This record gives sequence, C-alpha cells and structure tokens, in this order.
Amino acid sequence: MKRAVAAAGPLAPAALLTAIAFVLPLAWLLRLSLDRSSGGGMLVDAVTAANYLRFLGDGFYLGVLWRSTWMAALASALTLLLSYPLALFLARTRSRWRGFLAVLTIAPLLVSSVVRTFGWMVILGDQGWVNGLLRLVSLTAAPLRLMNNMLGVLIGLTEVMMPVMTLALIAGFARLDPTLEEAARSLGAPPRKVLLRVTLPLSMPGVLLGSLVTFVLSISSFVTPKLLGGGRVAVLATSIYEEALETLNWPFAAAISVVLVAVFGVALMLYERAMRRWMI
Amino acid sequence: MAGAAPPAMAADAPYLKLAGLAKRYDGGQAAVAGLDLAVARGEFVTLLGPSGCGKTTTLRMIAGLVEPSAGRIEVAGIDVTKVPAHRRNMGVVFQSYALFPHLSVARNVAFGLEMRDLPRGSIERRVTEALALVRLAELAERKPKALSGGQQQRVALARALVIEPSVLLLDEPLSNLDAKLREELRDEIRDIQRRLGITAIFVTHDQMEALTMSDRIVLMNAGRIEQVGSPAELYERPASPFVAGFIGRMNRLTAAVTASGGGRSRLDASGLSLMASRELPLGVRVTVMVRPHRIRLSARGGGAGEGNAVRARVRKLVFAGEAVQLEIDAAGLVLRVEQPTGGGGWVPGIGEEVAATWSLDDTLVFAER
Repeated sequence: MKRAVAAAGPLAPAALLTAIAFVLPLAWLLRLSLDRSSGGGMLVDAVTAANYLRFLGDGFYLGVLWRSTWMAALASALTLLLSYPLALFLARTRSRWRGFLAVLTIAPLLVSSVVRTFGWMVILGDQGWVNGLLRLVSLTAAPLRLMNNMLGVLIGLTEVMMPVMTLALIAGFARLDPTLEEAARSLGAPPRKVLLRVTLPLSMPGVLLGSLVTFVLSISSFVTPKLLGGGRVAVLATSIYEEALETLNWPFAAAISVVLVAVFGVALMLYERAMRRWMI
Repeated sequence: MAGAAPPAMAADAPYLKLAGLAKRYDGGQAAVAGLDLAVARGEFVTLLGPSGCGKTTTLRMIAGLVEPSAGRIEVAGIDVTKVPAHRRNMGVVFQSYALFPHLSVARNVAFGLEMRDLPRGSIERRVTEALALVRLAELAERKPKALSGGQQQRVALARALVIEPSVLLLDEPLSNLDAKLREELRDEIRDIQRRLGITAIFVTHDQMEALTMSDRIVLMNAGRIEQVGSPAELYERPASPFVAGFIGRMNRLTAAVTASGGGRSRLDASGLSLMASRELPLGVRVTVMVRPHRIRLSARGGGAGEGNAVRARVRKLVFAGEAVQLEIDAAGLVLRVEQPTGGGGWVPGIGEEVAATWSLDDTLVFAER
C-alpha cells in the first residue's frame, strides 16, 4: 500500500493535468449533451436523451457516423499499406543516409495539416497539377474529380497520417530480431514467405498501434475533410463544428462528440483484444 | 595450410568444399581472407578462434546468409556459391536460438517442412520424431518463451535437423547456456550428429567444446586458418605459438639458439639452459612453450633421462581441487606449474627450492618470424 502511494507520487502532476484538461471537459460535455436547446443558441437545463434519440433516429446522422467510420478505417488501411514497406526499409537499411531519410519521413509533422491540405488542393484541384498534366498529354477531356469528394479526403488523410504510422511501425520493427528472418530463410522460406510468416506476424504490435492511432486521428480529423471534402463530405468532426458554431445547438454538438468518444472506446477495445492475440 | 587431410578423406571426394572463400566488408579489413577447407561426409568440423577471427562469417557464408566477396562453396560437388539461403538446405542453429516466438514448439519444428510443401501427415510424423530425438515430445504445444534455455536450443536443433539438411551449421549454440547444461547439450549434439551421420560445422570460441566435440578443428585467427587437425594434433603438435597459446594453458619463454647438432639444439632463455628436440640455426630467436601440467616437480630432480631440468623456488601456490597451481621462479623466469592432487604428484611448500623437469616432447619450440 505504502509502495503504491510512493509510486503514485511522480504520476501526480500528469494525473492532475489529465483530470483538468481531459476528464473534466469530458464530464462537462456529457452533462451538456443531456441539456436541451431552445433554438437560437439558448440552453435549457434538462436531463433528456432527446439529442441522442435525434442522432440515432436521423438517417443523415447515422450516415455521417457510418461514413466517418469507414473513411477512417480505409484511410488507416491505405496508410498502413504505403507505410509498411517504407518503415521496413528505414528500420533495416544500413545506408549512411538512414538518419536523413528518417527525418525526411517525419518532417511533414513539422508542417501544420492545414498547410499540407492546401498543398493537396493545389495538386488535386480541377486546375491542379494532376489534371494539368493529364490535359497536357490529352488523356482526359474533362478534369478528373480528385477533390471536393471522399477520394480527395482519403488521399489527403493518407498522406497526413503516414508519418505517424511510419513511426509506430519502426518502433515495432525495432523489437523484431533479424536473426528470426535468417532462421526462416535457412529453413527454406523465400522472401515472400519470410514476410508473411515471420516479419508480418512479429510486427503486429506496431501495425495495431499504428492502425489505432491513425484510425482515431482520422475519424476525429476536421481540417482535411473540411477542405478537401469541399463541404460535400460530412463526417462527425465537421458535423460537430456545424452544430456548435453555425446552428449554435451546443447540446446536440455535445451528443455527437460523445458518440465520437464512444467510437474511440470501441476502437480501443478492438485494439486491446487484437493485442492480446498478438502479444508474445 | 598445415594439417594434412586425414587418410579417410583421400579415398572419397570432400562433401563440403570451401575454395579461396573470402569476405571483405566495404572499406574494411577482410573478415575472412581466402579460406580453403574440405570436409568429409559425416564429419564434425569445428571452426575455433577468438572473436573477430572470421569463424561466424565463414559459417554464415556457408549458410548463404552472407555473400562471399570471392571464392567458391561446393556441396557434394555442386557449386552453391550463388544459391540463395532458402534453396541451400542448410540446417542452422543460432546462438540466440532464434525460435519463432509466435509459434508453438511443434510449429517451429514444422516450419521448414511446411516451406517444402510436404503433406500434413508426413509433417506431423517427422515433427514428432524430431522432438522425440531431442527428448521434448511432451512440450510440443508450448510457446518457446515457456521453455528453458537448454530446451529452446534443443528445439532449435530439432528444427534444423528435421529438414534433413545437407550440412548442419551450429553458430556458438552453447554460449548462452550455463556450464552444466553446456556440457550436457554438448554430448547430446555430438551423439545425435553421430547417430544421424550428418555433416556438421560447429563455430565456437571455447577450446573445451572444440576439443571434446570435433573430428577436426580449424583454428582461425584474423580471417585465416592457423592450423587444421584433430584435437590431439592441435594440442600436442601446434603449428604456431598462436595455436599453442589458444588451446590449453602454456608457459611461454623467449630464447636464443646457442648450439646445434645431432638432432638437438641448446637454447638460452635469459640464463636458463634448455634443450630442444630438433636442429635449429645458430643465433636464431625462438619461442619456447611448455604446458604447466607437463612440468614435474621434485625435491632433487635428476633420473628423468633426457629432457629439461631447472632449479626454481616456489612463489605462489593455489589449491584448485583437481590440481594445485604453482608459480615457480627459475633464475628470474616465472613458470606456471600444475600438479595433480591426491598422491599423483609431490606438492612443495611456498619458498621451497624445487627441481622442475619436463620431457623434450613437451618442449615446443617455434622460430620467431
């Protein structure tokens, strides 16, 4: 008991900060979601499930929930697919450029995702580089619609999430003993089988962590869906924004936020379960 | 180099052959500098040497895990130098065991067979046989983490053997085990290797392992072979001071040749007069070596016939169970001596004056380069 108290000592500042900056606002949000709005931004103290019932009863909002979930899942999958070979290379290379390449990989984190999303708008727009190039070689008559739709949002999200995923994967690879791959080779496994039977299963902790983080960041992302979606891609974060700052229906915005937190909870649960399966 | 092939090998062609095998890492010194070696089928050959001598690099080149910079590797007359590791059919046992942590013991052993696309029934049967061979049948469903170090290494051995490899390659497989287990597994590996008649290359820095397990020892130093021969040859007839010093304990003196003739030389080691059993050119500097336990101590000396005898005073005495280890001072030269305990040898006291004698056969002499 005494030891537990002593161990808690150094954790106290972090615990306090978490309480003030996370638990309290969350509790406040939960309480707010049970209030009623009388329109025009007026708050009415109440304890009602009306906001949740509205969310669950409205096809539009259920669609938003569904769209957000698969968008985040797809973005995570795409990010994983593109980041895995990159992370594997960075973890294994003996090149003297390794440090530089690693910095280059995570450098995008130094630039705000607003700026990076604007970058994508320059590339993907109707007058953007991609369509410009296609026009130049006369491949397309009308410009390809690469943004102001889900495709654009997915392209943007994937790029925004790649550094995070890559970092998680590299951390996972660091714990994978290369001798295991040599053992597999010596036992007759061609490169493809080594990857599928040894490298991939043993890097699952990194894969799962990276997927969890990118899923959570994607489903709560606001800037990328807002800018690259061009107002046509309604997801949870943009809906919260609209309810809170345009319709001024704070209780309903709070209810959507709580739904978002619930999705986090489910994701975390799935992650825990998968980790138990793959923890060695 | 030194060490002629044993007579048995003259008859059949070598099974594993290394010719001019070399590895040079970019910019650096050669890890392995032109190695020639022929291994007979069923032979147990040990690559022995200090760390950094190139023994592990050599093993990894045979396994196909390291690409040679030059030279050729042949198995049963077929050049496999360019064959990738997964098509070489070599069974490798690693120092760190390298068991797949996410697979059960049985699945670990089955891995190589699954890669060969064998039918399920045959895989199961062979896995059961292999686990029985290393006496681990009852642990088949455990994960490697739940096994002791010795058990893990036996699983690794079963996994390497079950694929019926053309050569079994063992990379310091006993180094991570404690002393008692090491001895036990040493005998077990040797026993299984003999029973299966499999050709084995064993890498170690431990001379005891090399001496007790090998048909032949390849002693390496700085990427080159110092000597190849049976354990007894390397122990009794070392080809160089390095070999003599690496295997077993040695006293080492420097001396000059003062007289020569009649198949004998007389040497002067800082005032001590010694005899060597071959003729050496006058004035040449030589290294004289003699093993501590080949030196006999007595109160008066003499009567031993031809050999070396010096008078000395006991400086230090340590009781070490099976033997007493002494340091004696002979005219300023310090010799280490080992006397068996239990009536086998006379043990003087500290400060006592003694006669130290040893035979000409035990007097190893190397001309200095």
